[in-house]
Parts: sequence; C-alpha cells; structure tokens
Amino acid sequence: MSYGDVDPRPTKKRRFFAEESSGSDSTLRKDASLTDELDALPEAPPVEIIGNDPEISSSHNAMGAEPTADGQNTLSSDQPSLKAKSGVSENATQHQESHKENGFDTQVFATFVGEELPPSTMKTLRQVSGDNMERAINMYFDGSWKATAPTIRPVDDTRSVFEAQTQKAPPPRSRDSPTDIPGASITETRRQSNLQDMPEWRYIGAFGVGGWATKSGLNLLRHGESVKIERAKIQPPTPKLGRSGKVTAGPRAANRRGDIIVRFTNSRGEEIGRLPKETAAWVSTLIDQKICRFDGVCVYTPIRIRTNDTIYLQLRCSLLRRAFEAGGFVKPSDNNRTTGLFEAKETEEEKDLRLRQTGLIKLFDEINLHPLKSNEQTLKHKRKGLLQAAEMAEHFDESKKPKPDENNTSSPPSSEDAEEGEELEQDQLDTLYKKAQTFDFDTPVAQPADTFAMDLRPYQRQALHWMIQKEKDEKRSSKEVSMHPLWEEYSWPTKDVDDKDLPQVVDQDKFYVNPYSGELSLDFPVQEQNCLGGILADEMGLGKTIEMLSLVHTHKSDIAIQASQLTHTSVNELPRLPLNSSSVENAPCTTLVIAPMSLLAQWHSEAENASKPGTMRSIVYYGSDKTASLQTLCRESNAASAPHVVITSYGVALSEFNQVVANNGNRGSHGGLFSLNFFRVILDEAHHIKNRQSKTAKACYEIAARHRWVLTGTPIVNRLEDLFSLVRFLRVEPWSNFSFWKTFITVPFESKDFIRALDVVQTVLEPLVLRRTKDMKTPDGEPLVPLPPRRIEIEEIELSKQEREVYDYIFNRAKRTFAAKVEAGTVMKSYTTIFAQILRLRQSCCHPVLTRNKTIVAEEEEAAAAADEASGLADDIDLQDLINRFESDDGDEDANRFGAHVLKQIQDESENECPICSEEPMIEQTVAGCWHSACKECLLNYIEHQKNKGETPRCFNCRERINEREIFEVIRHDSGKRTGIIAGSHSENLIPPGSSRQQSLPFFSSTSHAPASDSDSIQSYPHTSTPTFPSSGPAIESTSNVTPCSSSFLSQISLRRIGSHTSAKIAALLTHLKRLRHENPSIKSVVFSQFTAFLDLLEPALARDGIRFLRFDGSMAQKQRAAVLAQFAASPESAGGLVLLLSLRAGGVGLNLTSAQRVFMMDPWWSYAVESQAIDRVHRMGQTSSVYVHRFIVKDSVEQRMLKIQDRKMFIASSLGMVSDEEKKLQRLEDIRELLS
Amino acid sequence: MALPKRIIKETERLMAEPVPGIKAIPHEDNLRYFDVEVHGPSQSPYENGIFKLELFLPDDYPMTPPKIRFLTRIYHPNIDKLGRICLDVLKSNWSPALQIRTILLSIQALLGAPNPDDPLANDVAQRWKEDEPAAIQTAREWTRMYAVSENR
Repeated sequence: MSYGDVDPRPTKKRRFFAEESSGSDSTLRKDASLTDELDALPEAPPVEIIGNDPEISSSHNAMGAEPTADGQNTLSSDQPSLKAKSGVSENATQHQESHKENGFDTQVFATFVGEELPPSTMKTLRQVSGDNMERAINMYFDGSWKATAPTIRPVDDTRSVFEAQTQKAPPPRSRDSPTDIPGASITETRRQSNLQDMPEWRYIGAFGVGGWATKSGLNLLRHGESVKIERAKIQPPTPKLGRSGKVTAGPRAANRRGDIIVRFTNSRGEEIGRLPKETAAWVSTLIDQKICRFDGVCVYTPIRIRTNDTIYLQLRCSLLRRAFEAGGFVKPSDNNRTTGLFEAKETEEEKDLRLRQTGLIKLFDEINLHPLKSNEQTLKHKRKGLLQAAEMAEHFDESKKPKPDENNTSSPPSSEDAEEGEELEQDQLDTLYKKAQTFDFDTPVAQPADTFAMDLRPYQRQALHWMIQKEKDEKRSSKEVSMHPLWEEYSWPTKDVDDKDLPQVVDQDKFYVNPYSGELSLDFPVQEQNCLGGILADEMGLGKTIEMLSLVHTHKSDIAIQASQLTHTSVNELPRLPLNSSSVENAPCTTLVIAPMSLLAQWHSEAENASKPGTMRSIVYYGSDKTASLQTLCRESNAASAPHVVITSYGVALSEFNQVVANNGNRGSHGGLFSLNFFRVILDEAHHIKNRQSKTAKACYEIAARHRWVLTGTPIVNRLEDLFSLVRFLRVEPWSNFSFWKTFITVPFESKDFIRALDVVQTVLEPLVLRRTKDMKTPDGEPLVPLPPRRIEIEEIELSKQEREVYDYIFNRAKRTFAAKVEAGTVMKSYTTIFAQILRLRQSCCHPVLTRNKTIVAEEEEAAAAADEASGLADDIDLQDLINRFESDDGDEDANRFGAHVLKQIQDESENECPICSEEPMIEQTVAGCWHSACKECLLNYIEHQKNKGETPRCFNCRERINEREIFEVIRHDSGKRTGIIAGSHSENLIPPGSSRQQSLPFFSSTSHAPASDSDSIQSYPHTSTPTFPSSGPAIESTSNVTPCSSSFLSQISLRRIGSHTSAKIAALLTHLKRLRHENPSIKSVVFSQFTAFLDLLEPALARDGIRFLRFDGSMAQKQRAAVLAQFAASPESAGGLVLLLSLRAGGVGLNLTSAQRVFMMDPWWSYAVESQAIDRVHRMGQTSSVYVHRFIVKDSVEQRMLKIQDRKMFIASSLGMVSDEEKKLQRLEDIRELLS
Repeated sequence: MALPKRIIKETERLMAEPVPGIKAIPHEDNLRYFDVEVHGPSQSPYENGIFKLELFLPDDYPMTPPKIRFLTRIYHPNIDKLGRICLDVLKSNWSPALQIRTILLSIQALLGAPNPDDPLANDVAQRWKEDEPAAIQTAREWTRMYAVSENR
C-alpha cells in the first residue's frame, strides 16, 4: 500500500503531517491523520483540541517560536487543497454528512473508481480500509485489499501472526493508523455507528492536584480562573530525534520522548507552572495518546506567585470521542505476535500500551471511578490486580534503572521474554496440582459410540462425558450474553464535581474499558466463546489417548455424520471444486493430532485398535508419507472419504508454518495443515509448546480448528508461563491475553504473593482441566486403575578397586576445586565448572571410561563449559594414568605371553568338556593365566570356593596360582555358535545383515563409541602360522578402535578379561539379566541410562553374553524409533528375553513399554520424578504382571547422596538455568556441599 | 536333588571303559555311593589282593573331594585301621579336575609306593622305617589274610 505514487504532496506539507502525528515515526502516517482531520476539523476548531495537536496549541500559545510553526499554522487553510491533491477534494467535503452517517459513501467511492462494485467487494473494502474512503480507493487500485481481505477476523485478540506478516509486507506504517489492524475493522464499524452520538469529549470526573509555579509575579492567576493544561510545547523537531532523547527519562519516563512535562497556562495563555511529576507522568500519556482532555480550574493560588510555589488546581477530565474510535488507539499489541526474530523485547507499541494502561488506571483511581460490572472471574482479584498492573509498569522501569545504557539504546525492558517467569519449586507445583485435581467422582458418564472397539473404564467414560460437554458447550449457550471478561463497565457520571447536571447522551449511559489493552468502547463487549475444548491432564497411564479416541468416535460434526450415512455416494455426485483452493477450507470430519515424533506410530496403531474395523480412517502425515494436498483430502466436499484422524508431528507443524509464513501467510494455497479448519485439533504431550516464544508454539496457535484440546500429564513443567501457552493455544478468553495473564498471575507470583497467584491459576484451570492421578481412589476406595504391583529396589554397587581409584581421584579434585572456589568467593560464578566435575563423578560411577568421553560432556553442558572442561582434561595426566591402568593393565606383558599356539590350544580345548562340570562344550569357556579352561561359572565358582576356605586360588589343573585379573573369557566369533544375538547397535537394526563382517563380528560395529569396551580382547586367527606375536603385536586390541581387518576367518576367538573390565554396574546388570534368562527366559527388560555413551558401553557387553537387545535414543530417526518399538513389543516370548536400551531423555516420556516387566535404572537423575516417569513407561495401563525395578546406586558415592537430595525434592539441575536467583543458588551450594561431603 | 551331569558322566564312563584293576559300582538307591574294588599293584606287598573301599560323593562334589575309606583291612603306613587314607589329592591337593577314576588310580599308586614320612597309622610307619622288610612281610600277610582269603 504505497501512497507515495498516488499522493504527491509538497515535501514541506508532508513533513508537517509526519510531525503532526505526535507518536508516530512514520511518514505514511499522513493518510491516517488526514482522516482524523476530516473528522475533527469542521466541528472543533483547532484551538480547542487541546493536547490533540500540540503544534497547534503551541502556535496558539504565544511562546510558539519554531520556524516550522508558521507553516503549520496554515493547516486549516491548507486542508482543502490537500484533499484536492489526494483526489478526495470537494466530494469528500460534500459528502461529509453521509460519511458521518454511514461511515462510508459507496456512491462517492463508485465515482472515484469509475465503476460499480458488487456489495460483497464493497464490504470487504470497507472493512479493510476501516471505512476510510481514501484508503479504500487506494487499496482498490493497488489491489492490496485482496491480500488482506481473507485474513480478517472479528476478534482481534486472536489476531494471527500471519496477519501480522501480511501487514508487515508493506514497509513501515504508523502504528496508530486505523487500518493497522484489519481484524479490528468490523468492531470499528460497529463502534463508529455508536460514536456519532457522542460529543467530541465527555466529562468523566475531576481531581485535585498541586502544581508548582515556574514563574513569579503578581496576579498571574486568580482563584476560579480556568487554566489550560498543555503538553510541553518544545517538541523535538522529528520523532526520530525525540526517541533518542528519552535518556532523560524519569521514573516512569517510558514515554518515548522521555518528556512528561505538563504545563498549565492562564487564560491569557501565559505559562504559570507545571503539574507535579507523578501526575504529569500519566496525564502526559493520556494527552499524547489522545485519550483525555483536561480542563483546569485554579482552586488556590497565592496572590503573589513565586517560582516553585504550589498552586492548587482542580482538573476536570473528559474522555475524547476519538479515544473510542478504535483507530485512535494502538491496538493491544500483546498478542504474542512477536514474530520477528530481531524484535526487541518490548516494542514501542507495547510500551505505549503499558503507559496507556497505567494512565487509565491512575486516572480512574484519581477521579474515584469504579466499574459497575466486571467479570466474575476477575472480581475477586480485581482491586489488587489493577493496582499491581500499575506497579508492574513501575516495576519494569525500576528494573531498567541500574543499567540505563543498555536499555536506552536497544531493547527497552519489560517482560523478560526468553526467561520468563520464575520457576516453581516442586512443592508449589505439588500444591497446585493438588488444587487442580479436585475431581468429582459423581460426574456423569457417557457411552462411547458403538464404532469404538474398546471398553472404557468408568473414569474414562466420565472423561468422555466431560469432553463432549466441553465441545458442545451446552451450558454456555443457554446462558445470557455475558460481558467479555477482559472488559469493565463504567457509567458516565450524571453530575460533575460541582454537583451540576451533565448533559447526557441518549442510550449512552455506560462505557467500557479494557484495562488490559487500554481500549475504550461505548458498546457492550460480548464474551466470545471460542474455547470448545480443554486440557486433558490425566496422569500418565490413565489412557488419555484412548479417552481422546473415544471422543473422536463419539462426537462428530453433523457433516461427518451425514457423510458416514452416505457412504455409497458415487464420485460423480460429489461437488467439484478446483484442485487447490486458495482459501482456508473446512475439514469437518477430521481431527488433527499433533504429537512428538516418537509417538506417531503409537497413535496410529491405537487409533486402529480402538476402532471397529472400517470405522476409522487414520493417516500419519509425516515425512515422505505426506500426501500431496491435505487440503484436497480433508475438505468438506470430500467428507465421505476424508480421514477421521490425521496424525502429525510438531516438527511438521513447524516446518509448514515456516513455509506459510514465507509465503506471506497465504494459508490456503499451501495445501497443508494450515490450509484447513479442522473439526478438532489435539496436541499430545502438549508441554512441547510450553515456551510461548518458541516457533513451534506459535505454529500450533495458528492451527485452525473448532475444538481444541491439549493432552499432557504435566500442564506445568516448571513455570506458570508453561500453562499460559496451553491456554493461549486453546484460545481461552481472557487468559490468552498475556497482559491479563501477567497482571493476575505472573506479577503476583513474582512479588511472592504465591497464594493469590496459585489461586488464580486454579480459577483458570478449574473449568479447563480434567486431571486424575493414578493414586486417586474411587469413593469405594478402589484405585482408579488397578495396576499390578511394582517393586523398586535400590541395589548398592561396590566399585572395584580400580574404579574406586578413578572415582576417588575425580572426587578429590572436585572437592578441591569446590573448596578453592569457596575460599576465593567465586562459587557462584563457577557453577558450570563444579557441575562439570560432579557430572564426571557421576559418570565414573557408571564406567570410568565415560569420564573421558567428550561427547557426554558436551551433551550435558553448554559449549563453553565443555571447552573449559576439555582444557581441564588436557593436563589431567594423573587421571589418564589411572584410567590407563584400568583399561589395559599389563597389556604388554600379556602380549608377550600370548602365543598363537596358546590360542590354538585354547581353541582346541574349547571343544572338550569342562573338567569341572563335564559340560561339553564348555559354557562360556574361560581360561586362567595358565591357559587351562573350564566353564566360566565353574572356574569362578572354584576360585570362590578356594578363597572361602582361605586358600590361594590355584588352577584346577596345574595348580598354578591364579591371578584373578588374568581370567579370560573366550569369545568365539563364528556366528553359528552364538545363538540369538540380535544385531547389536541400532544402526544394524535397520541395515539388512548383508555384510559378512557384521555377521561374524556382531559387536564390533559399535566399538567406535566405546573405545575401551574391547580393549582387552585378544584376537586370534587360528589358521595363521605366526608362532609368536611381537611385544605389542597385532593380536592385542589396543585401546584404539581396532577392528579386525579381515573377515575371512571362519572361526576366530578373542579373549576378554573377566571381572575387571566391565564396570561394576555393567557386571551387576549382566548378572541380573543372565539370572533372568536362566529363570524366566521370556521376560523382556528395559534399561535406562541418562548417558547414551554408557549405552554404547552396554551394547557390546550384552552382545558378548549373547543377550538380545535393541536400542532407542534421541539420535534415531522417527522410522527407526517406530521400528525399534514395534520390534520390542512384537518379539514373541518364545524368542527369549529381549532388552531395550533407552536413553532417559529420549525414552523417558510418552512411550508405552508395557511388554517389559523389568526395569533397570543404571544411574540416578537429580529429580526422582524423571526416573519415576521412565519407570511408568513400563508400569502403566496395559501392564499385566508385576514390575520389578532395580536402581543401581554406587555405594558411598555421589549417587547415594543424590538420593538424599531427591528425597528433599531439591531440583538442583535447574540451577544451571537459574543463575540469577541468589537464594536458590545458596541452597544449591548446600546441595553441592553435601554431594562433595 | 538331581544328580549333576558330571557324576552321571563319570559313572557312565567308569562302566563303559573300566580301568584295569579298579572297579567302582554305584549303589542303586544312592548314586553318589560307590562300592569300589582296587587290585593291589604287582610287585608290591599288596599284589594279588583285592581291596574293597567305599566312596561317597558329597553334595558339593567336585568342589570338594569324594570321601573314600578302605573297607578291607590293610597294613599300610598311610592308611589307618579304620581304613582312612592319607593322600594329598583327597585333602589339600584336591582339584575339581580330578575324578573318581583318577583318585582311585592315585590310591592304587599309593599302595605301590607307601610313604612312611607322612604317616596316618603311626605304628605302621614306625615299623616301616625301622624295619622295612619286616613291615613289608606283615603287609603281605595281611593281604593274604584279609584281601585274598576273603575274595577266593
């Protein structure tokens, strides 16, 4: 919408218009202001628009000395010619009456454009242009109205980012231009019709104020003399310069010029004094933003005024009519429409909004005007909230005080968007949940539709009933129209401050204020009910998915019902539509499910399982499975064959969102998720969008659907703002307005008024949330879901001597570092360093080698800390020594003694029976240092037996003393012998086992992650004739990742040292798994660790012992994950026990692993909740047998102390993100002290 | 308690490939209990004698050695009058790699090479040291008296 071409005005005048809009920095402002003049000029002579146009009043004032003022004084005379040039000219004047009446004269319009337009086009144009004739004409000619038209929405609070995008397409525009918000234009039309009855301004109240004189003199002012209240006359020459001038800001000088001076003049126009700063601060805003006019009367003044004397004034305030014109306002910019990457934290708009809010609140406070009616929800907290809203503004300003430079230049402070809101402590969270969990067991139940194939438990039927109610919203429709919760109703005063009657306007005895957006209105703001959904927050395992699917079956749109009845419609009968519609189409039969990638497959299969055959069409919309045009598939005209459920991932939503944004917000032509208006949208694991600033969250907000649902077991993860994002997605008024949210929840919470904040949160949650927990009991005392018992055992692990050395070394160093930092007083700054060391300590509990693995370090820390770490490791020779000793003790010596003939002998011998148990061949042949072999168990038993008798272990055969560190298990690599090894690493799961190397060496492919896992192996190629190996010969696998260079040997063996090499934890795990295999071979197990590198070490260990396993971690693609989960679930019992290795982070949430019955937690996490969540993957609905959980904890280590901290529910890990909060840091300091005690 | 594989295998092999001069037959009601006969080695005072022993495999066999006792009286410095045997492999030098067969061979060898320096029957050992020919003569007589006469 460039007007430059159409509107060639003289430069000078253009400049004037630019300046005339006091708040604006944009030259395009001219059109808007022109309209303003059209409205204002004929009725109110410029001199009386006090504060409306400071330039004019200043020229009226004798002080006006600026050279430009002369030109500006010609304003009124210039006006007609301006109009002529812009092409509106006489017609506009001529039709001013009709303009006033209708807001828009179609006749005139037709004259200008030279053709009659269809009424629908006309309507759109008027909406788009905000009934501004000139704009409409311009838009009609440049075609921009078409682009804007489809995106219009009646409710501007839900204004979309797309719209913001389209608006931004044309370069900068004045922020208070009326057309800035196309979405608002409908309301505008409505308002303007009402506005015409309103006088130019209307009295609302008066208050007293003590101004101070800036002048001395006699009889400057008399009692009862009226004074004019004006803004400072010295305006900065251009707004641009003015903005930089805000350095001088006072406490609330967020005014963009930093100028809040309000003067008052006597009837002769002489300046007498100024209003005190506190009053001036908000009065200036109200004047500048053209909301109010103030007329003063002198109440008391000394006859002889000296500078700085106090002069008492009574100010009568009137609201200007234009304040009620939506265009006169900056729209509430607080719609999370922070789309731009580089957007400052608080935009100018936001600041204006904040100032306006504050101004209005202060004003109403001063004149003692109270709302007649405000929303019930807010009533309870209103008084405090409003006051606090004002404080909030101050609070933010105060927060910028300490660093004025920073804030003045780039980003004005306010909502710290990135790190918004304080974290909730665990106990607060508990309280909150407890409050939200009031669940009425008398809730009626609903029966699912007969197409639903599963049986629902009673509480699930209750959920269904509740959800259907929410969707149909029966209650609400019967209710009378209620006021929009954000608004407050005020009545116009009937008498003024002197008790004189005021002129009344027919049918206008009330006005409405939205204190959150600063909007004023004369019309009753109707509550828009647009939340036909809610939050289903049942605890994990209660079957949220099933409940949701029952809803999908049971509540369908009318169109869907019709379509299902007309299944035999032939294709020809279907209405034809163009292939790709460019507008957003309805998808009345389709429910969109957005879930984390790892759950897509699960949703798909559950959707199938829950439905009687043929009653449910569900598709996964992901990756290459995406259909060309979702729009074509789901549109209304395709109702008979449209999918009932479309399942997609957050990632897809985000990427399509980006595409649509890149395409200037043209939803329709994209043909994807955003081109449809779904019947229902469901966000699974909705805490994915907890950050309202994230693009994923924004993408989800934009999904159009009639019914909106979120599923999450944890609606609040750690900040109250987490909940806001859900509410925002649901479009729940008024809470989806962030300003409102901030006022009632964030601010009280941050000012430690927890009870009030949580109370409000409860009010928000109550109607929205259905939450049941597993430990809820029905009135008969029955658990909600009878789950089989679960037994959790903590298993204490004793570290081997070598491991303990490594551990002690790291421990002492961490302790030293900590002590040194404490002494130096830099603990607070060295959190990352200390945490890095604690991390290594924890790793050394799992496996000493882990501490050397940089990838984990990087995983867990910020890059900077990792770099620090790396340099710290570089000079860490001692530790390396210890680990070396651990890894390859006496490696060279061994090499000398291991001759090929020995290996040959061992191999030959392996065919023999065990000398101890007579098994033939031996089970896990194991050799001692003297090369006599037996079954592993026999040999170890015998050694144990001898030790128990207090004897030195000796060989059963040659009576050679046995060095316990020199017992080797013989590993044969001929695949035929070793039964049932599933290809070890995840990479192999999906690669067909084509390569012979992988077949013959099942576990070597994973050694790249685990440098030491096979470091002790001795390779033998029995058919080679090399008699001996050189001292560090090729037969020994060194610690580097040597993999055998050839795969041609049919039968190779290698030796693996027993006992010393796997860590104590791995050994403990293997013991359990082997015992399990022995006792109950069909049971499947799940192994969790937070260190994926530890999983890398577990893989070869399991492979060696022939334990079948699968792996699931964050690095895998969706298809791989699905394949692994399916394989794990589907593996038949007869195939034997299967182990699933999961990373705690990737596998801790959402998954359903009920086919397993054993859980092994390899390492503790800071918060037990996370572990418990992981355990619940197995112990959840669908689990049929008891679950045994083993938590491996190293004795006398940091892990044991972590358990104590877990008990105290301290959430130490969060401290990495909480560097600012001193108190919590101190608490954590204590934690660290304890960890290192 | 099921019989360990090892015992079954040993028993089978003792039956299938008997060692010359040695017989070991398990009791039907207790497969861990064996009746044993060992022939006195030639060129020893026990030549032509057939000595009966009892052998019992304890529960933790082969971790612990079998318990063996001569039932036939024998004049030997390492075997006392209750038939108990002093043999290192039956005590400290036991190894699970040893078997019934090997242990019986050891006993047979012990008959051929008495060791009066590590006595169990002190009076016999004393005599063996002081007057070996006389001791050997007594051993021969005992053999004829107890081992041969009973048998023939």
